[in-house]
Amino acid sequence: MQFRLEKRREPSRVMLYATPVAAVALTMILGAIIFSLIGYDGIGAVREIFLTPLTNSYKWQDLGIKAAPLIIIGTGLSIAYRANVWNIGAEGQYIIGGLAGTGVALLTWGMTGWWILPLMVLAGMLGGMAYASIPALLRTRLNVNEILTSLMLTYASVQLIYYLIRAPWKDPMGIGFPQTRLFSEAARLPTIIPGTIVHLGVPIAIVVAVIAWFIMTRSVFGYRMRVVGAAPHAARYGGFSEHKTIWLAMLVSGALAGLAGVLEVAGPFQRMVPGFPTNYGFTAIIVAFLGRLNPLGVIVAGVVLAITFVGGEVAQTTIGLPNAATGIFQAMMLFFLLAGDILIKYRVRRVVPQASAGAA
Amino acid sequence: MELMIAILVTVVGAATPILIAALGELVVERSGVLNLGVEGMMLIGAIAGFVVQFHTGNPYLALLCGAAAGMAASLIFGFLTLSLSANQTATGLALTIFGTGFSALAGSSYSARPVTLMQPLFPAELATHPIAKVIFGYSFPIYFSFIMVVAIWYFLHRTRAGLILRAVGENDQSAHSIGYSVIGVRYLAVMFGGAMAGIAGACFPLLLTPQWAERMTAGRGWIAVALVVFASWKPFRLLAGAYLFGLVMTMELYAKAGGGPLSVIPSELWAALPYLATVVVLVLISLRRDASTNAPACLGKPFLPAN
Repeated sequence: MQFRLEKRREPSRVMLYATPVAAVALTMILGAIIFSLIGYDGIGAVREIFLTPLTNSYKWQDLGIKAAPLIIIGTGLSIAYRANVWNIGAEGQYIIGGLAGTGVALLTWGMTGWWILPLMVLAGMLGGMAYASIPALLRTRLNVNEILTSLMLTYASVQLIYYLIRAPWKDPMGIGFPQTRLFSEAARLPTIIPGTIVHLGVPIAIVVAVIAWFIMTRSVFGYRMRVVGAAPHAARYGGFSEHKTIWLAMLVSGALAGLAGVLEVAGPFQRMVPGFPTNYGFTAIIVAFLGRLNPLGVIVAGVVLAITFVGGEVAQTTIGLPNAATGIFQAMMLFFLLAGDILIKYRVRRVVPQASAGAA
Repeated sequence: MELMIAILVTVVGAATPILIAALGELVVERSGVLNLGVEGMMLIGAIAGFVVQFHTGNPYLALLCGAAAGMAASLIFGFLTLSLSANQTATGLALTIFGTGFSALAGSSYSARPVTLMQPLFPAELATHPIAKVIFGYSFPIYFSFIMVVAIWYFLHRTRAGLILRAVGENDQSAHSIGYSVIGVRYLAVMFGGAMAGIAGACFPLLLTPQWAERMTAGRGWIAVALVVFASWKPFRLLAGAYLFGLVMTMELYAKAGGGPLSVIPSELWAALPYLATVVVLVLISLRRDASTNAPACLGKPFLPAN
């Protein structure tokens, strides 16, 4: 039996939404097989990573706070990728956002006032924007590839954290630990459900994604992003400047990565520590693709990836699966998703041998 | 004098893995494929090389297994982008995420266990004089990297196979129409790039730090990708670029060791310097007129035969 690929007249919408679901399902199946082959409890690993976080209600709050930064960053990246702007340095923009927020928290340390948190958020978003504007400037002025520059700046930003918390921002009472002092009350993100760790960042993430969805589908801005990404020549003809679009895409995705950073430092961390680079910026790339570059899809994808993070921790304690297994499951999901993309433009046809062809 | 030679030997060591990985990527890009998974393939090569060196103590076998592991990883990328025409940028990123996770999982039981560094290729008596040390004092991968610079230049510009590979990268439709297998050539190029990245990764435990550490390649794979742009897809320029970066990384080592004028600058800035230097190098190269025109015309575009 042979199969052949046949081009569809128009891209399949069914496949567009079915392939992400299939990618997650295939990841669970293949993951169970592979992890069994290398000597772990494969089925147990899949159960703990993908199901326990959902069935155990104590884990729901963890899901919320892990999904929030992924959704916020993933939303920004989905807008950029729609415009064919490959910002893969969101991790660095997230870090600079966190550092900018930390700066405000340390400057206002000991003060009270409702304005401190909004000021931190503003600083964080501006920080992420400023960091994203470097690759934007280099791309538009000098045609330097934004993939490499945004990524290199991420590695540099990690060193900036180490420097700041080792020297100028070091906690004076920290008995030698390289970390900043704990933020004062006014600089901490409040929890929204009493008795849990669910902070204000969770509803903010949902609101951000919904607003982004509205803008992307209903406004000239969204139209511009989609046209420039899908048909750059037509966009130029239609009067949309490519440079302006690159700037917009980088600034929006940078601002959202910075927002995630400041919410993270004011929420779960409440101080700047060496462990602040949490890989959310890289995982959000998977979130954006799994969500089909659609902000509403990103909400779902953000929760799926949060499940794997929380589940990875569960599997580590219950069945001794190394934490790195989470990354493999996440990468497999992306592999399957990219492989499945071919089904959007092509259909698989069975090739029936022609009986007439010289059968006598 | 002694210090100068010690620095020179360190520069060579630091530059070699970047050079080997970048040479592989250069061939891949010349065939019209952009594989951004170099960092991931290097990490897979690094853990494969480490495990083999740990259990057998045979560095040549370790390099070979690193190459095989890198090649196997590159086949995932090849299958998705060449057979299924998946987006090359996204698939390369996925490969790096995969390699990071895979190497961390495979290495999780080996952390802080030491391996022996690879010994110099020539007998120690040859390398006693300082000048002789600069020539005869290295282990096999360093000589391998030099040979590959020349071999790849010769292959690309003096052989028929190299001509076909360049034709595929410059104009896939024409190459296809005169009967060359575009996908076949690209598969071979991607596999070669994977093997080179795997060897480059294996160099980390064998030449630089004789133990396993997660993410031990620390972005060197990305610097290798950037260097291919810097070299405008030419092997000898790649050699110069890799040594420039070797020098920057060596300055970081000396600054961290403490003392001397280098330690006036915070060590974190030294650590950030290779990445910042990459950005600066990319900017400088973009200022040159001919830089972008040298890129293979089909770089990063999926091949769909027009019939």
